[in-house]
Amino acid sequence: MSGANPSVATAAAMPGIFDALPGIETPVGSISGGLARMWEGAASEGKPSPAGDSAKAIQVNFVLLLGFRTDAADAVRQFEIAVGFSRRHPSRVVVLCPLPDESGATSMLAKVYGECTVGKTPDDMRCCEFVMLSYPRGVRAHLENQVSICLSTDLPLYFWAHGFADAAKLADYHYLMSTAKRIIIDSASAPPGVAGYPWPRPGSVRDLAFARLLPMRQSIGQFLSRYTPAALSGGLVSIKLAHGAGVAAEARVLLDWVARRMGDCGAKGEAVSLEPSAALPPQAFDLTFSFDDKRHFRWSADVAAAHATFDADFGGGRTTMQVAASFLPPEGALSEAMFF
Amino acid sequence: MADSERHPFLQGMSKHRGAPPTVVVIFGASGDLTARKLIPAIYNLGFDNLLPTDFHLVGYGRKPIPDEEFRKIASSAITQFSRRKLDAGVWDRVAANTSYVSGGYDEKEGFDRLSAHIRAIEGTVGSEVQSLFYISTPPSVFGPIIQNLGASGLGGMYVGKPHHSKVIIEKPFGRDLDSARALNAELRSVFEEYQIFRIDHYLGKETVQDLLVQRFANAIFEPIWNRNFIDSVQITVAEDQGVGTRAGYYEESGCLRDMIQNHTTQLLALTAMEPPGSFEAEALRDEKVKVLKAVEPLTLGENPDFARAQYAAGMTGGKPVPGYLQEAGIAPDSKTETFAALRLSINNWRWQGVPFYLRSGKRMPRRVSEIAVQFKRPPGTIFPEKDGFNLAINTLSFQIQPDEGLSLILNAKVPGLETRTQPVKMSFRYATTFGSNTPEAYERLVLDAMIGDGTLFIRGDEAETSWKIYTPVLNFWQSQGRNGMEEYPAGSWGPAGADRLLTSRGHVWRQP
Repeated sequence: MSGANPSVATAAAMPGIFDALPGIETPVGSISGGLARMWEGAASEGKPSPAGDSAKAIQVNFVLLLGFRTDAADAVRQFEIAVGFSRRHPSRVVVLCPLPDESGATSMLAKVYGECTVGKTPDDMRCCEFVMLSYPRGVRAHLENQVSICLSTDLPLYFWAHGFADAAKLADYHYLMSTAKRIIIDSASAPPGVAGYPWPRPGSVRDLAFARLLPMRQSIGQFLSRYTPAALSGGLVSIKLAHGAGVAAEARVLLDWVARRMGDCGAKGEAVSLEPSAALPPQAFDLTFSFDDKRHFRWSADVAAAHATFDADFGGGRTTMQVAASFLPPEGALSEAMFF
Repeated sequence: MADSERHPFLQGMSKHRGAPPTVVVIFGASGDLTARKLIPAIYNLGFDNLLPTDFHLVGYGRKPIPDEEFRKIASSAITQFSRRKLDAGVWDRVAANTSYVSGGYDEKEGFDRLSAHIRAIEGTVGSEVQSLFYISTPPSVFGPIIQNLGASGLGGMYVGKPHHSKVIIEKPFGRDLDSARALNAELRSVFEEYQIFRIDHYLGKETVQDLLVQRFANAIFEPIWNRNFIDSVQITVAEDQGVGTRAGYYEESGCLRDMIQNHTTQLLALTAMEPPGSFEAEALRDEKVKVLKAVEPLTLGENPDFARAQYAAGMTGGKPVPGYLQEAGIAPDSKTETFAALRLSINNWRWQGVPFYLRSGKRMPRRVSEIAVQFKRPPGTIFPEKDGFNLAINTLSFQIQPDEGLSLILNAKVPGLETRTQPVKMSFRYATTFGSNTPEAYERLVLDAMIGDGTLFIRGDEAETSWKIYTPVLNFWQSQGRNGMEEYPAGSWGPAGADRLLTSRGHVWRQP
């Protein structure tokens, strides 16, 4: 794998996250030409580059918003996640870097970045292209047109909103969000109350915190699916999830999922509680079901230690089991949130 | 199974993320297929977090192997053959539940020990577990294994519950119609049809499954997928290797049994079948059986619908190689074909008059499997070849392996002031679009069997219908001895007889 433009930030005049991202500055009016020149440059240096437009095999259009609550280091981290995702799912990525009104900027700037991953044979090459746009919030009316010409025609659009400040600012992207197949957020870093935002299509919103939990949901699901819904829900008194300080958002969505699934199993009216615990390690969970008889269920997990323990008795004898516990890696969570 | 019918705690996850607690028992645990395909497949399923929480792997074989040694063998197989590097964390979790039971295949006591071992695993897990028996042995012991699975009660475990026992059986599924029927009868004496998963790993290949998606998820193909627009179909499954170390097996088998009856015929069925009512296993398999039943009996005598040949000395990969009869372990007067080509006709409204050409062989120029659908030329073209127009036959080709993908040959205008035409190729390549680290066929198939999805497996009547097409040819060849056996130089695309099958209809073989 080789980057066509390794970590070059040429727009020295622009402060903030736009500078921190890699790429070659290019006139906003000729982004296609900038991309072509970038690939030609990569080819002339002997780096992998696509032979033609078809070789790029773009699968998805992907807009990443790096909002006002993002700093340079965080922006680079999210960018790298997007690059990692694009290595697996070749994408045309547009990275939006808005500038606050007080920045004094009046015009839009663009940078391009691309890289190709070579597989087993030279023919087995996947490439991704990034267009970074920096713009003062005042020009937002022109943004959707500018983004539209950066995207690959006819392919689905995914919108990843990261570091946005509030619902009003996110509304700047209403058009993009209303046309996106999925809107990706991360409730672990989003402002409080994000679930209640006036999303154009609430059904298309996916939470990375929930996606990250997939291995643990799967583990809990497989364990509990060994018991009949009636055995799980009959006589259930309470569901309690205690959690460490570093996984509050994940704990909230995990508990919500467990409660909904228990509801589907027939549970009604039980007490559901979420309890932050200073006694638990930062990335630990402790889920317990209590019943009106001797049955019990406990799942305790520590992601940092990568293990979890089930301890349960649903009337057929006590079962204890050690299993792995992990979050999906960021690229995997993004993929899960976008495609599943 | 619809998502809403699943356990509430498995709803919303992909269907493959909810296999019940399972013990996979591999018969033939020290064999080549186990090391090359099965163990790596299980490891990669573990890597992708697709194995159930309570997953146990049990090897069974004649050779006594301590558990620890079997784990080492498995670990070494992953290092050598897995598409992903060995990750100690992933493998350790699988290895902790990996064990070995030694016993003969015809020894009931061995199966009783296996049964006790599975009961002990259930004790550890604390619930009933599903047993998935993978028969990866030479066909000579299929029968004893099946019978002993029945006698020990393992075959009938939890029938009536979703986690009932299941059995995967490897090819060859019989060597002719009679033996296939006998094997089916033996299997059904112990298992219900829904417990049986006859594997043809071609059906697990991404491109083979993509053939169904291309045909039935795109509106542009189905209207032209018939005799009005399609001129012919060529299906090639070529190997560049010779018989290698498999002389004993191959002498008994030959190309028709080894490749055409199963892999190539599956490709034919998927290409030619009618759209199924759903993507459910039975709907799909019903349509495959229907189209195979519509294949007309092959002409055996004058102008036969087939050619057979053995490779002679030649050159592959720039190196001289011996002919089949000079290979170690091959009888000097061997009657086994290393190449077969057939011309099939399908007698239904969709395909009447469209020849399906099938060929497979060893020591061909390269390893390639493809389906090429050749369309008819446009009527009354305004771009005649005599006027210098260069027009190609529109061909849609599905490349199954290697370089999985599909391509379409179109005719386009060459840029310039005058009108000239030139064929252009539009390609879609799996590796370019989706990355090269796609799951191996066995991963998909083992997982499908674990969740009880038989869509990509062969039903008993399907296997018999396929043998019904080819058994008369096999019997004819048997009666002819070496008469009619042609030669082709190693590294070539086959004998002259194969070309004649096509030229008589105005066609020529592609050289993919």
